[in-house]
Amino acid sequence: MRPARLWLHHVRRTPLLLFVIAYTVATGGPFLWVASMSLRTTAEIFKNPYAPPATPHWGKFADAWVRSSYGTYFWNSLTVVVSAAALLTVVGAMAAHFLARYRFRGSHAARFLILSGMILPPQLLILSLFQIMLELGLYNSLLGLVLVYVATQLAMTVYLLEGFFAQIPQDLFDAARLDGYGELGIFFRITLPVGLPALFTTAVLNVIILWNEFLYAVVLLTDDAKRTLPLGIMRFMGGHQLDVGMVATGLMIAMLPVVLVYALFSDLMIRGMTAGAVR
Amino acid sequence: MAGPSRGGTPGARDASWGTAALFLGPAVALTLVFTVYPVLRTFYNSVHFVGPQNRTSFIGLRNFADVLTADPVFWKAVGNTAIFSVVGTVADVAGGLVLALCLFANAPLARACRVIWFTPVLMSYVVVCIIWGWIYDYDWGVVNLLLGWLGLDWLQHSWLGEPGTALWAVMVAHLWKWLGFNMIVFLAALHALPGDVLAAAELDNCGWLARTVYVILPMLRPTVVNLLILSFIGKMMIFDLVWVMTGGGPLWSTETVSTYVYKRAFDWNTFDLGYPSAIAVLWFALILAFVAAATALLRRRERLEF
Repeated sequence: MRPARLWLHHVRRTPLLLFVIAYTVATGGPFLWVASMSLRTTAEIFKNPYAPPATPHWGKFADAWVRSSYGTYFWNSLTVVVSAAALLTVVGAMAAHFLARYRFRGSHAARFLILSGMILPPQLLILSLFQIMLELGLYNSLLGLVLVYVATQLAMTVYLLEGFFAQIPQDLFDAARLDGYGELGIFFRITLPVGLPALFTTAVLNVIILWNEFLYAVVLLTDDAKRTLPLGIMRFMGGHQLDVGMVATGLMIAMLPVVLVYALFSDLMIRGMTAGAVR
Repeated sequence: MAGPSRGGTPGARDASWGTAALFLGPAVALTLVFTVYPVLRTFYNSVHFVGPQNRTSFIGLRNFADVLTADPVFWKAVGNTAIFSVVGTVADVAGGLVLALCLFANAPLARACRVIWFTPVLMSYVVVCIIWGWIYDYDWGVVNLLLGWLGLDWLQHSWLGEPGTALWAVMVAHLWKWLGFNMIVFLAALHALPGDVLAAAELDNCGWLARTVYVILPMLRPTVVNLLILSFIGKMMIFDLVWVMTGGGPLWSTETVSTYVYKRAFDWNTFDLGYPSAIAVLWFALILAFVAAATALLRRRERLEF
């Protein structure tokens, strides 16, 4: 390209460039803003909401953790989310392995049953789940929430894993059978190791989705000591609406793990989140 | 990604009942107890009065009749949900397409932009709602600040506090959270387009606008349709965002069907789970009808995917 053409090319691209910059600021900006506010006191914020932290108050995080019981909320969230994701991986992988690898008369019915969870509106479940969990003695219990989370995420998990498992070459399974592996042996020594990347993807996805979950938690947990992070933030917001600085610190505590996981596995998470819609 | 195979992959083995029970048992049991049973129970509740301590009495279709004929709030919620679903879906899909085309047109730092633009998708609704509550703040929110700075003070609003603007303000926040998702799906579809067709259009000296409208868009049709349906269904069920940002107010201006169901069940002291169950059943029937109609209309052989 001659210099003149090149210059014209750049001028033509200026609107595109401006738009890209504007949208990047619009999506990334709010997070930086919250990060900045999380290190400032509310008094400082009200003086100028958009200034960077002059002297970062790291102590606010310790304060939120201990005195505003974000520590409790954090551990509740972590316990529930990690247990649910682990259970989902095991239960989902077993079902997906079976559906992908065996011929069985009930397979169609079982698949329909498990995958139907994907189009059920949560409202259809939540009203009676409230009653059912009370009757089962699982209301206001983290175990109850874990079981509900496993049930709600099972459809997506099985759907994604079956797609991955179906692509494992049949030769591997035939060879394993010749070597005398039983049904469980094949699952543990072929499907799980070969499907590890897929298992990892779905586990990370489930962790993020459940970490953010709000509706089931708000209906099934009322005890303050049992609250997960989204509920804890809501509660704190209710009582300290004007303490913007502290709310921002709370938001950071909820956001940081997600940001951390995303920074490490951004491509994997982008692909995983959209796997159901991309073909 | 390849869709799941139907009767197992070629070379699949016949399974015994024992093997089936071992592998499918836990998943099926969990689904039965925590998904199928609650759904059936909600259907059962919808034709009952369900008071405290589970005192239930059969009342036939009275809940449904009441919802449809004697509940102005329900119809207000339906109206809001309809506006939200239709306008929001179109904006969502169109916006995602524009973003994807920007990155497809070799914007600088496309990879970094992709990662940053997708970030809101991963954030919880509670976080998004609180941040947007601040962005919309009348006194120090960035929206009013920018308007004042541009000399457009007369456009400043208490965005979430006025019935005229609240629904649109919530819609923008929702758009902000989900645009990145549609962008990624479009981007994947764009990269899968046949390169020689695009190259031919370029050789014919086809401008970028013409190339987009006449060459790229027709080829993206299946993706557009898929995303429209997906996005519409998601918005029909919208709850978290509205609940945390406005709680349905002011004056029912952001009340959606889902927030109304929640309110009737857990927030108001009406002590009847039957009535909200009837609404949930009605709404589910409507969503199913929509999915069926969309599938028939678009004559798609394959099952809709979510």
